Amino acid sequence: MLKALRWWWGILLAFSLVGVSVLFLPLPFLNEVLIFSIYTIGCSFLLGRVGFISFGQPAYLAVGAYGTAFYLFYFGTNPYVGILLGVLSGLVVSGIVGPLFVRLRSDYFALVNLALAVIVYYLMQKVLADITKGDNGLWFLTNIASTPVLDISRPGQFFIFALLVALAVWAFYKYLDDSIYGACCLATKINEDKLRFLGYSNYSVRLLAFVIANTTTALAGAMYAVYLGFVSPEVTSPARAADPVVVTILGGTGTLYGPLVGALAYTGMKDVISKLIGNWELFIGFLLVFIMLAGEKGIWGTLQPALERLFWRKGSATGTTERREVRA
Amino acid sequence: MMDAQLLASGVIFGLSIGSIFFLMAIGLSLCFGLMRIISLDQLLYYSIGAYITYSVSLATGSIWLGMLGGVFVAGIASMAVERFVFPRIYEREITFSMITSFGILIGGIGIIKYFWGVVPRPVPVPTLAQIDILGTEVPIYRLIVIVVAALVYIGIWLFLNRTIIGKAIRAGIEDVEHVEGLGINVSRLFTITFIIAGSLSGLAGGLHAPLIMVDPQMGLEVLAFVFMVVIIGGLGSIKGTLVSAFIVGQVVSLGSLVYAPLAQMAPFAIMLLILLVKPTGLYGSALLKR
Repeated sequence: MLKALRWWWGILLAFSLVGVSVLFLPLPFLNEVLIFSIYTIGCSFLLGRVGFISFGQPAYLAVGAYGTAFYLFYFGTNPYVGILLGVLSGLVVSGIVGPLFVRLRSDYFALVNLALAVIVYYLMQKVLADITKGDNGLWFLTNIASTPVLDISRPGQFFIFALLVALAVWAFYKYLDDSIYGACCLATKINEDKLRFLGYSNYSVRLLAFVIANTTTALAGAMYAVYLGFVSPEVTSPARAADPVVVTILGGTGTLYGPLVGALAYTGMKDVISKLIGNWELFIGFLLVFIMLAGEKGIWGTLQPALERLFWRKGSATGTTERREVRA
Repeated sequence: MMDAQLLASGVIFGLSIGSIFFLMAIGLSLCFGLMRIISLDQLLYYSIGAYITYSVSLATGSIWLGMLGGVFVAGIASMAVERFVFPRIYEREITFSMITSFGILIGGIGIIKYFWGVVPRPVPVPTLAQIDILGTEVPIYRLIVIVVAALVYIGIWLFLNRTIIGKAIRAGIEDVEHVEGLGINVSRLFTITFIIAGSLSGLAGGLHAPLIMVDPQMGLEVLAFVFMVVIIGGLGSIKGTLVSAFIVGQVVSLGSLVYAPLAQMAPFAIMLLILLVKPTGLYGSALLKR
């Protein structure tokens, strides 16, 4: 029981902080932050744990969003089924392209993903314009029916839903980090020859990581679709391709809470800066360069050791040694 | 359904598009070969080249002067970026260079928006004359683009094979530590290569500007095609870049004659096919791993 509590307390603390902040932060802002953090955690997992940088995350976001949008626009009204279908389409697409992509070297991987994002953009904007309505996008806000227990067609209840989903996603990724599979992912990033020597297949470790990360991204896309009530090709625009990578690095690559902190900082800065000077790209580009040159640790990567030191000083002597052992 | 006239003009169109892609991809390829970086900011120098061409041609009335200015300014910009940002990046992993240069690209687009605004601007075509080839009227300007690209290929080939700096660059692509051991100033070699790459991207932008409208996102629009060229040809190979630029140009042009939306998709399918058979591209070597 105590062990389970120790495992959970970080996640619970983080998300109860987000939940409490609804008292003094606007609701749309928090909804956006939660969805964005789910969007980012897949990219953070790929970059920090498996060593794959992907500039193509918008492609999978769009797959999830359009999977949901097609259902809600043409067939049904239940938003939960829509989100489920969005996630499923993300699973299918990443299952199809995954075996082709993960064989590539990490530099080719990034470029091929970027190309995929552009292709999905053209696909949605021009080739499938008959069913996606091209640049106008699909509007289905009025199609979403209210659901009995948690009515996610209202922003307030959607926030609770998003909070629960994010909690589940984080618990899942923490579980992955602790498991043997998580260790394998880290090993394939650092030394793939040794991992092969230990009897694991680099290919299947990477494929599974790819599918997991991109299905999470598709989940974020599906939630965007339900939250906004419309989808346009703009979600996969190449100009936004760097967003998840920027947030990942801003928050701290490969750390568990980095995506959440990064999404909070990024969305906050975006709101403030686009109000003040309006030239958003200029700022984000140079911020990225600055963080990379300053040591690429990110906000959470810098904050975490400081917080740990704070808690060590307060904690009892036995707790301290125990934690040191775990770290060693 | 497709007669000879249409086919001839399609091939010419494909050659001119392929020439633009080649000029840009050659910079990326050289940078990867020598410095082991993926320099996404080449697309920024392309936009800069196009915008300087627009502004100078508006001021002086001569587009050729504008292109010259575009090449020059793109070269200066690339030198500044290389001197200030890249020295700390060469030591790091390749993904590091990709992220940083993407930051430069996005930041640069912000600067372009600041100076020129977001509205697309038209650039006049320098010569509207047409020439008769196989019974088809072909704009001379497209032929000029092709000739310029061919001259650049010959020039790069001569530079790499006949001059001492070019030979040092080729040796650096094989093994940069040995070149340094021979007493050659590698960091200056890097700067020279980067300026060449940036100027060629600027030239591509200047040449492409009259064929399209210049707008701040133009770099991101060609990005996918340039990467397809580089990936199909194999990173770090000049010859591979030439061959794949030719292929991609023809596929885009002839594909759009068959079924217009296909033009955007077909190169991607070809790229996937080639990567399935040969994961390092047509001419890329597996030995280039460091």
